[in-house]
Amino acid sequence: MVQINFARKEINCKIVYYGPGLSGKTTSLEVVHQRTPQGHKGELTSISTDGDRTLFFDFMPLDLGTIAGMKVKFHLYTVPGQVYYNSTRKLVLLGADGIIFVADSTPGRMDDNQQSMDNLRENLTEMGRDLNKIPLVIQYNKRDLPNPIAVAELEGKLNPNKVPTFETSARTGEGVFQALKAISALVLEDINSSDKKGSMGVAARKPAAAPAAGAPAAAPARPVAQNVPAAAARSSVGVMPQKEPGSVLRPSGRPAMAPAASGTAVAARDPAPVAARQRTREPVAVAEAPSRPAAPARQTMSQSRNALHHQMRQVQQQRVRREEPADAAPAHAPVQQKSSGGGVKMAFFMVLGILAGAAAAVAAVKFLFKF
Amino acid sequence: MSKDSELRESRLVFYRNDLGKIDRVLQEFVRLSGSSSVLLVDKEGHMITRAGKVPSFDQDTISALVAGSFSATREMAHLLGEQEFSALYHQGERDNIQLSLVGDRTILTVIFDDSTTLGMVRLYVTETVRKLEDLFTDILKSQKDGTNPDIEELSDMSESAKDTLDALFDGN
Repeated sequence: MVQINFARKEINCKIVYYGPGLSGKTTSLEVVHQRTPQGHKGELTSISTDGDRTLFFDFMPLDLGTIAGMKVKFHLYTVPGQVYYNSTRKLVLLGADGIIFVADSTPGRMDDNQQSMDNLRENLTEMGRDLNKIPLVIQYNKRDLPNPIAVAELEGKLNPNKVPTFETSARTGEGVFQALKAISALVLEDINSSDKKGSMGVAARKPAAAPAAGAPAAAPARPVAQNVPAAAARSSVGVMPQKEPGSVLRPSGRPAMAPAASGTAVAARDPAPVAARQRTREPVAVAEAPSRPAAPARQTMSQSRNALHHQMRQVQQQRVRREEPADAAPAHAPVQQKSSGGGVKMAFFMVLGILAGAAAAVAAVKFLFKF
Repeated sequence: MSKDSELRESRLVFYRNDLGKIDRVLQEFVRLSGSSSVLLVDKEGHMITRAGKVPSFDQDTISALVAGSFSATREMAHLLGEQEFSALYHQGERDNIQLSLVGDRTILTVIFDDSTTLGMVRLYVTETVRKLEDLFTDILKSQKDGTNPDIEELSDMSESAKDTLDALFDGN
């Protein structure tokens, strides 16, 4: 979707090259990149396979310049054309403001072109959008090949609404810029014709994927020079549903995300200043809000961890209590041992004293009887 | 057109004062978390605003790739029965990127090196996301009830558009 940034004086739009595989979408973008003057283009980025088939998308920012005081920037994307990459194609198509359909003029590829156009219509319908209301131009590519499919046949099968068409050769670059110029004009016209105030749906929750109930089934004929989408389709204002307590970041029922959990861990480990640690409390509280399924599990772990710490502390206290008498005994035992050892020695010395006294008495008696 | 379609089709509009408030929140985040830079990107891959060091890489390209990365992982989330993964982390040898969903349409892209930690960044990301969501709610409310003093209208681009497109595309 168009992003209008009055503060930066910018308008950002998304243009998507769509079409069957090998029809020349990437080559067209490469031509645009090669021929755009420096200062108006960014890098050309490709997410492709080893065989240079587009895997996700090719991307190139294009700066159109300043228009009515606003810097207009286009983001040009290509989709992977191969049939089995439809989910990727839908991702790239999401939010497109304009589409360049690149049809392959090679004989025998008419069915592929038609299938791709049908696929484009279906994917847009799935997103709640209507191909008839989106700026669209068609490149009939590979016109330089011998015996290409007749333009009348391509026109009859691919362009019922008579949108602008261009005979191109992406290989030589012929007509590619004209197609881009046409889609640029249509997109800018579309921006102006839509509600000028626009809306700000930033905080709006994701709506359920459902086709637009009000989208017209039959495509009204669209004159080439009057490609003006319905203004009302884009002038809506995003609705911000009431926030649910404890589910600030996502719809209720979604598990809490990993960052919050790490945040908890960091809060415990990080030697942050007190002020910083105090700030951690709030996010942690959000992360452990009761409405999230993962939160109770984390609380249970926390509780069990606390209980374990408590039990360990009790065991340590009991051990200390049990060990207290044993610890006390060595402190007093030496005294007891000293006293008992001293008694034996005293008795020993007393016996020695007695024996010595007796011996002295006997010697004294013998000495008296001599005289 | 159904209400859902209207929601999907509503364009993003940011006025001067609104972006000033957003910038202040981002600048505070950079200061507290020690990140190199932070970009606020919409889901279509357009950058809304940024704070911190001027990055050496192409900001438009990184914004588009961030949006693409988020879109791709959303498909993975669907396969797992989740509606969306609200955060992504890309780790490099020197620089890392932390992506977090803000509201439903914008992505907070934080680029940081080893001068801070992932835990620190995530800690402040959580707080910043909440602040931004509150801010978006206020901005939306002021736009809806017409109390936003900064509401501007686009000038008619048809005249100058023709000249600009001619100058850029003709001759190629």
